[in-house]
Amino acid sequence: MKKYLFSLLVVTTCLAACKKENNTPTTPVMDMVDTTASVKVTGNFVNGPYGTVSGKAKLLMKDGKFTLVLDSVNISNGPDLHVYLSKEIMPVNFIDLGKLKSVTGTQVYEIAGMPEVSQYKFALVHCQLYNHLFGSAPLF
Amino acid sequence: MKQLLALMLLLSVYNLCMGQEKTTTVRKSQWVDLAATIGNSQGTAAISYVYSWKLGRKKKLEAGLGVRFTSMFGEKIDYTTAPAKLSRTNTTPFLIFFAGQKTVNWDTLTVQRPFVNSLNLSANFGYNFSSRFSAVFNIDLVGFTFGRKSSAILTSNGITKAEGQAKPAGFNALLTGDLDYGSLNSEFSLKYTLNDRWAVRGIYQFLFTEYKTTTIRQTAPDGTMVDRFRNKANNFGAGVSYQL
Repeated sequence: MKKYLFSLLVVTTCLAACKKENNTPTTPVMDMVDTTASVKVTGNFVNGPYGTVSGKAKLLMKDGKFTLVLDSVNISNGPDLHVYLSKEIMPVNFIDLGKLKSVTGTQVYEIAGMPEVSQYKFALVHCQLYNHLFGSAPLF
Repeated sequence: MKQLLALMLLLSVYNLCMGQEKTTTVRKSQWVDLAATIGNSQGTAAISYVYSWKLGRKKKLEAGLGVRFTSMFGEKIDYTTAPAKLSRTNTTPFLIFFAGQKTVNWDTLTVQRPFVNSLNLSANFGYNFSSRFSAVFNIDLVGFTFGRKSSAILTSNGITKAEGQAKPAGFNALLTGDLDYGSLNSEFSLKYTLNDRWAVRGIYQFLFTEYKTTTIRQTAPDGTMVDRFRNKANNFGAGVSYQL
């Protein structure tokens, strides 16, 4: 009985402690890009200290709404990867555009509201859970 | 006759001594307890030592003091503005339980990988329904905390800022409700005694943990700069107790 109870406690603790890493999907995503939107700024991704990112970032505007396009990107996989529009290359002031849809393909991310996008100089692929920068694209 | 009196005196002293010893063993007890709980995106493990006294003519009530070490771990846990003067409409001790929430002042610090260890003095109360079943309530009183620094994201009025080094608040004190400081564990449990030594518990846990920012602050509407953020968790679990 004592062994059973201790086993139960150990298993319960382990189940609570162990969680599968939430890696990004690998199936390519090919979002439709609105070709009638105007391109405000663009930039090429360069690798960060914790990952590799290739491809291009484009900030588009149409009807007063902004979108960020990750064009033909290839990204090394990792847990909890997010797309940021950031004022700094290491994000302090940023807009979280959501989880990265896939590690490869062309992806469109809506930017909510009407932020002063000229202040956001970088598109980032960032591991939020571990605060690791995978790649950045300076926008100009 | 003298021999008979001496024998009676001896027996009386013996009975008195044995009676006192019996009373002592029944009226006091010491427990070591292990507990584990799970909640929303978090879990805890705790080990505690409790010294308690049985009270009342029928010894149904118990009260005691103990020491408890609680470890809490989780992922992406939301902590909200902690200072009571910002989070509640009334900050009078005990009455604060019934005070309204000033959610307009609340900002959220999402701590990415919280890991908090607290060592606290605890108060313990119990009621024995029968020789096997009892209800137990315990609550941390005062102590200290150490743990892992973690990155975090402060969301304030829709604006997000990154905090690189949020850390657990170091000092714990039970001051009732949102007046509390630090990380405090409280449990309500139903206990089933298996034999003279072992008992098992089903646990409902209400856990406060607190993180502090180091590089960024919340600016409250009244201008107060805030670096304390609190998470309140409802967790459920099981425990096993061993009587020393």
